[in-house]
Amino acid sequence: MINPRSPWSRRALAATSLLALLAGPAGAADGVTQDRLLNADKEEGNWIHHHKNFAGHRYSTLTQINKDTVKNLKVAWTLQLGGIEPGGIWSHGGLEGTPIVENGMMYVTDGWGSLYKIDTRGGTGRLVWKMDPKTDKEWAGAVACCGVNNRGAALWGDLVVTHTLDGRLVATNKETGQVAWQRQVADPDKGETITGAPLIVKDMAISGVGGAEYGIRGWIAATDLKSEKEVWRTFTIPGKGEPGSETWKGPNNAAVSGGGSTWVTGTFDPATDTIVWGVGNPGPDWDNAYRPGDNLYTDSTLGLEAATGKIKWHFQHTPNDPYDYDSVSENLLVDVGGRKLAIEADRNGFGYAVDRTNGQFVWATPFVKKVTWTKGINPDTGKPFEYDPNKDVQRYIAANTPSAENKTADFCPGNMGGKNWPPTAYNPTLQLWYIPVIESCNRVTHEEMTTASLKPREFFTGGGPTNPFRITGSVTAIDVKTGKVAGKHETQFPLLGGMLATPDLVFTGEPSGGVMALDAKSLDKLWEFRTGGGVNAPPMTFTVDGKQYLAILVGLGGAWDKWFIDSTPELKNIQPGSTLYVFAL
Amino acid sequence: MLKLLVTALAAGLALAPAPGRAQAARGDDGLPVFKKACAGCHKWHGDGGGGYGGDALSLRKTALAKEQIVEVVNCGRPGTGMPLHERGAYDAVKCYESLRAEMGASMPPEAAAFLRPAEVQAVAAYVVDRLKGKGEPNVEECTAFFGGTSRACDIYRKKEGGHAGQTATQ
Repeated sequence: MINPRSPWSRRALAATSLLALLAGPAGAADGVTQDRLLNADKEEGNWIHHHKNFAGHRYSTLTQINKDTVKNLKVAWTLQLGGIEPGGIWSHGGLEGTPIVENGMMYVTDGWGSLYKIDTRGGTGRLVWKMDPKTDKEWAGAVACCGVNNRGAALWGDLVVTHTLDGRLVATNKETGQVAWQRQVADPDKGETITGAPLIVKDMAISGVGGAEYGIRGWIAATDLKSEKEVWRTFTIPGKGEPGSETWKGPNNAAVSGGGSTWVTGTFDPATDTIVWGVGNPGPDWDNAYRPGDNLYTDSTLGLEAATGKIKWHFQHTPNDPYDYDSVSENLLVDVGGRKLAIEADRNGFGYAVDRTNGQFVWATPFVKKVTWTKGINPDTGKPFEYDPNKDVQRYIAANTPSAENKTADFCPGNMGGKNWPPTAYNPTLQLWYIPVIESCNRVTHEEMTTASLKPREFFTGGGPTNPFRITGSVTAIDVKTGKVAGKHETQFPLLGGMLATPDLVFTGEPSGGVMALDAKSLDKLWEFRTGGGVNAPPMTFTVDGKQYLAILVGLGGAWDKWFIDSTPELKNIQPGSTLYVFAL
Repeated sequence: MLKLLVTALAAGLALAPAPGRAQAARGDDGLPVFKKACAGCHKWHGDGGGGYGGDALSLRKTALAKEQIVEVVNCGRPGTGMPLHERGAYDAVKCYESLRAEMGASMPPEAAAFLRPAEVQAVAAYVVDRLKGKGEPNVEECTAFFGGTSRACDIYRKKEGGHAGQTATQ
């Protein structure tokens, strides 16, 4: 569904043009091009990609804050943001975004999609403007499975490009804060929402969609930022007769509601012109007998041709998934031992490396302490040992798998995963990959679905979880040369924010409020600050006026406090909030 | 005894009403409480079903009387994800004639926020007046829940052949 641009946005555009005439070609020097995005790492003090570079490394080469100086890291300034108001089934919004910084100007979003431009020069933070997209909170919030979330902005030309939970792509003038244009990309009437930041590739904004718990048919879509029109939309569930459609069997026409959401921002490999993007769980989540077959391309990593969105290759992690083990996580593109790899930390508890030129399996290793759904991943095939290609419905370790014959099942990792959306980071010198881990198990009650269960804007999950087991967390480092775990720093609570790597440090936050720095090799904790709020966002770093800063959004975001809190009762004490913290030496 | 009571509760049989609660709450007063405390798992229309909040029971199909609903809201449902909402339940106040020590693994979880007795009465009245025994959700119910300025109920307007024209996104 594509709505015509509203009169409101045309008026805004006119106002923008008028301002531009009055002010001259402001901002042209800061225009973000594909060339700058390709060379983002050369802009050492900036952070102009959601994941820092196209390869998704979240690695900064800045070294003023290092393992010797980090003990002197202190709060430089804070800024209160908004967006905590309720909507739909949610009692509050929160913060999950990664700040973008270009030449001292920071762009952040709150959970309802408001975009803030903050001038960070002069050792303080000054709000320049705020763009409120007026998200339809009830329309979107009633079909957002997992919180009032928005993970940030992207830059292109003189525009800041963002999404809204109610499915829009919004282009905002960087100088004025006026909406230049907007386009409806996803449809909440179908249970579709958008929470990820756009990925900008070759003058296109790439959008992913959420809603695999609501019977959507997932997709990845590209919008031409010049014409404001859709260039391509690739469905993650094949249509009738397309390759992969044979993996959807049975009488339910299950592919039409097959899930396969794409709600985490992907990466881009310019050498092979390939967008690498993760695909979420099949629907219904826990009744895999409803959808016999492997259910491509759910729980898969996709390699897409950038210009057309054509699927070049795929690798599936959990065929006919009965656990809700999304593979939406970001794929980091790393070159190791002469191989071009895409590495992904899957909800199913295993970190995977595949050859990003063809999708062939290279290695998999468990990054969680406890896995009970499978004995392991077959090193020859990349599939779970129990996977039987001759069976239409997989049971893996049947005693731990929800099904009509096993109505209540406990499995590890739990359905929230060994790792959820919070991004990993990669140190290319040490060749260590840092995963924010949820050390979890939970319990799922199976509910048999029929085609009559499928209704627009209604959960279509085939059961539901409870959380009778305590859940903790860790930072787990994997040596990408060997594919083995190189270290684990355990934490009292699951890690729900994400990672930042620098040459000798890694940073992360905890849902109990701590922001911490660990030694990049030993994972020993070298510094910690208690923010007093829930940390559900990744840290980033930048320079302004020649000085390095560390920034992180703090504000109880996501779904943990609504769906999973019984596994971490102490976190009931964390209150909603919305604050940007910025640290400096 | 506990098991017997829980079974009886699940079957919707009459139990003694909890004593000393406020009376005469109306369904209207219960909507904000229902939104805050119940809709996440039981859904806005109360029909329950699977979801990230667990596999919640249907309140549209419930056989429970108002006082039984009050008791379940206060005490939760042992052995399930339905949380208790009364401060002191199983400690200062017995639930299903039991205290915490007797509950073991079937102790229900505690809700994120307790409800006041008047709120519990109001939400139980809401369930009985507005949900219990109702058929498929319709546009009036949806609009009563989400309000008239959102597109949240457009799918019901379309289904019922009405005008789907709300464009509240701009």
